Amino acid sequence: MKKLFVILCLITFAVAFKSINDELFYIPKNFPQPVYDFTNNPLSKEKVELGKTLFYDPILSKDNTISCSSCHLSYTAFTHTDHDLSHGIENRIGTRNAPSLANLAWSKIFMWDGAVHHLDMQALAPISNHDEMDETIANVVFKLQQSKKYRKLFYAAFNDSLITGEHTLKSISQFMLTLVSANSKYDKVMRKEANISFNEYEAKGYELFKTNCASCHKEPLFTNNEFENNGLEPDKFLNDGGRIKITKKAEDSLKFKVPSLRNVELSYPYMHDGRFKSLQMVLFHYTESVYQSPTLSHQLKNKMVLSENDKINIIAFLRTLTDEEFLQNKKFQPNQY
Amino acid sequence: MERSIYIFKKALLFIALIFSSKMLQAQDSKSFQLNFEPIFNNQVLVLNDSFYHIDNNDSVRFSKLKFYISSIKFYNNNKLVFAEKNSYHLVDASNSKTLYININKPFGTKFNSIKFNLGIDSITNVKGVLGGELDPTKGMYWTWHSGYINFKLEGTSNLCNTRNSVFEFHLGGFAAPYNCLQTIQLSLSNITTATVLVDVNKFLSQINLANTNAIMTPSKQAVELAKQATKMFIIK
Repeated sequence: MKKLFVILCLITFAVAFKSINDELFYIPKNFPQPVYDFTNNPLSKEKVELGKTLFYDPILSKDNTISCSSCHLSYTAFTHTDHDLSHGIENRIGTRNAPSLANLAWSKIFMWDGAVHHLDMQALAPISNHDEMDETIANVVFKLQQSKKYRKLFYAAFNDSLITGEHTLKSISQFMLTLVSANSKYDKVMRKEANISFNEYEAKGYELFKTNCASCHKEPLFTNNEFENNGLEPDKFLNDGGRIKITKKAEDSLKFKVPSLRNVELSYPYMHDGRFKSLQMVLFHYTESVYQSPTLSHQLKNKMVLSENDKINIIAFLRTLTDEEFLQNKKFQPNQY
Repeated sequence: MERSIYIFKKALLFIALIFSSKMLQAQDSKSFQLNFEPIFNNQVLVLNDSFYHIDNNDSVRFSKLKFYISSIKFYNNNKLVFAEKNSYHLVDASNSKTLYININKPFGTKFNSIKFNLGIDSITNVKGVLGGELDPTKGMYWTWHSGYINFKLEGTSNLCNTRNSVFEFHLGGFAAPYNCLQTIQLSLSNITTATVLVDVNKFLSQINLANTNAIMTPSKQAVELAKQATKMFIIK
């Protein structure tokens, strides 16, 4: 009986393990367990490939001009560097800054206001948003079904050339799940790899970061996955209340999701509306221009004091979160047909 | 000889037994047919073309009636006897096929009431993307705020001071305090079929279309309207 139990345990373990295909996805040593439930959407090479093809294909937009990668470019940490607000079809401009993409398997809530509660459903938001792709998932599926290339790719991935919304969204999730960024200098230092260590500035910056920033930008993902009001004066044109739009609770007014800081060096401009062009401006905001309002994060109620040298050191540390292997990874880039 | 007559008699008896049991079975079957019949008061509800009179000489026209029926369960004197597995059905007044739900059930189950959800429960809502009746291409999923739309009623009325006089009720939301899911229980008199009238007037008569004509987010009002919507369902 005991033997049977052990065997059963081993089988369960093997099945659970199999749904995480380590060639496509792995859990870095310094990371916690992922949030995404892979048993409902086990990774396969064909599905990831299909997801990547969809990610880079403007067929997802109404006039076939905008793809996911229009605002999420691999070389710049999957965001749109130098653009404060996201761009859509017909030169339309959205209301928020496109976030960088990485480590999405550890993310339990999506979008600046937490409008989307599951990675599988995330792509629906930009596809349907009037200022982004302005398309419907039903019509995307219709367009894909007309394409011989996609019928082949869906057949290879799902053993069924009949295209559905479920299969389309699951494959986009699969590609996004493979975007693991965990080979920055920071990670190597933490994992004590090959005698890599912080230099003097980075080490000082790391200590300052732990005292002043880490309660919201929690290691190793550099976000606590919560919503905070970080003291930005509301933009009078955008008039964006953030999380309150979803929860309708006054206590959520002006709160936005805490973004991860991985690859932050490349993901400028910063904040939900892209108002700050550089990390220097971000740190200036936290020390000098925090806007007082009832929902302001308690961590920011007392003035943050940092010298100019402190700021330089913090930025030196933040640069250690840049993951060149991730940014240059050919697997994440479009195939050359 | 006598022995073969005996066997013949036995065989006859056996055949008779099979027949009689078949006759008994004819009153039962392995499936239950649940039909929905959209109406407005006593009139058949026809989308797009027909006008229906409401109070004050105003009229209303409908363009869409779609809702989820899920978790269908059969009860015998309030004791659960059978629950349909994977019980998700999208009823769409514009597609007559969806008005007839065929439920496979064990042979010989006795029951006198049926219970089902109007909408999609919160557990299903957080499972990630699903297929079949729950596929987001069915147009019953909010893209800007994750969650299923449980119930949609759309149309036009001169009472609505909106673009093209349109009214749109999209009821949904699965998270507290604005969980819109409703349960409906109906008594049955027949164990093979039931027709449920869906009287849109029972919903609309409680709403002043001049003030309330666009509900499209999970909210307190959506929950109140969802409760109102359960009154539309009446056994014919």
